[in-house]
Amino acid sequence: MSEPSERPVDRKLLELLVCPVTKATLEYDAAKQELISRSAKLAYPIRNGIPIMLPDEARALED
Amino acid sequence: MTQQPQGQKGKTGRAPEEMPTSFGFTRVAEGSKQALVDDVFHKVAERYDLMNDLMSGGFHRVWKDAMVSFLAPPKSNASGWRLLDVAGGTGDIATRVVRRSGETVEAVVCDINESMLGVGRDRAEKAGLADHITFTQGNAEDLPFPDASFDAYTIAFGIRNVPDIPKALREARRVLKRGGRFLCLEFSEVDVPLLDKVYDTFSFQAIPTMGRMVTGDGDPYKYLVESIRNFPSQERFAEMIRQAGFERVTYRNYSGGISALHSGWKY
Repeated sequence: MSEPSERPVDRKLLELLVCPVTKATLEYDAAKQELISRSAKLAYPIRNGIPIMLPDEARALED
Repeated sequence: MTQQPQGQKGKTGRAPEEMPTSFGFTRVAEGSKQALVDDVFHKVAERYDLMNDLMSGGFHRVWKDAMVSFLAPPKSNASGWRLLDVAGGTGDIATRVVRRSGETVEAVVCDINESMLGVGRDRAEKAGLADHITFTQGNAEDLPFPDASFDAYTIAFGIRNVPDIPKALREARRVLKRGGRFLCLEFSEVDVPLLDKVYDTFSFQAIPTMGRMVTGDGDPYKYLVESIRNFPSQERFAEMIRQAGFERVTYRNYSGGISALHSGWKY
């Protein structure tokens, strides 16, 4: 069972979101709860069901 | 209620291009405004709506209702009508729009502040509107949405906290569909003799004091009051909206200009 605070992210929202830097589509990593922007080489976290679409909060991807 | 264009006044004489380094009346280094604004809203998130009640004498609810009436969301949603509400972390506007539509339309709330979003999401769930309102953290200057993806864009009492307002306006236009509507509610320039004096006294002295009593910290509210005074006048802000490419730009004053609603269309 997940904690009450660990809420699922809304699927319709995921389909809508793009990378704020490049405006390219994102890949959803359900296990890591991240949205991957290949074009910006950034992984945006999803915390408590809320996508955090800020480059400063994102994890830099290695090449 | 739409006002005729009015002349320049000294009170909000700061040029829009100076906004990025204007934090209330304290000048701050370029790039640090966002962090300071974030801090303000982290401090007040839980009691934000209560403070708005005190700051506006309850009028912010009337103004927001008027904004939603003006927007007139559809009562059925065969076409998939979708709203983007920016800086509306507590879900105040999104909730009103979804309810006004008879719980048919879809609203996405995008706010740069995590604390405000948490409050909003909890409220949407309690109100049974979680299927209609979704929340994402994002920057109004770099929206995480594709071109032409929304039928309406609203921002209520948020635009003056954005460091680069012209950029945010261009982003608003980008994410709107053709025929889409931009609506911005913001504290503005009081245009009624005597009311401006009374409002000055109220806002510079009473509001920070109330803020300290309600949230234990008066400084965030000192910032809020000063940022209102730094915001461009109704006519100057309308011009900024036109410069971002919006058409049929109009505004109407509420409560003698304590707040103003600006409207524009993307064609």
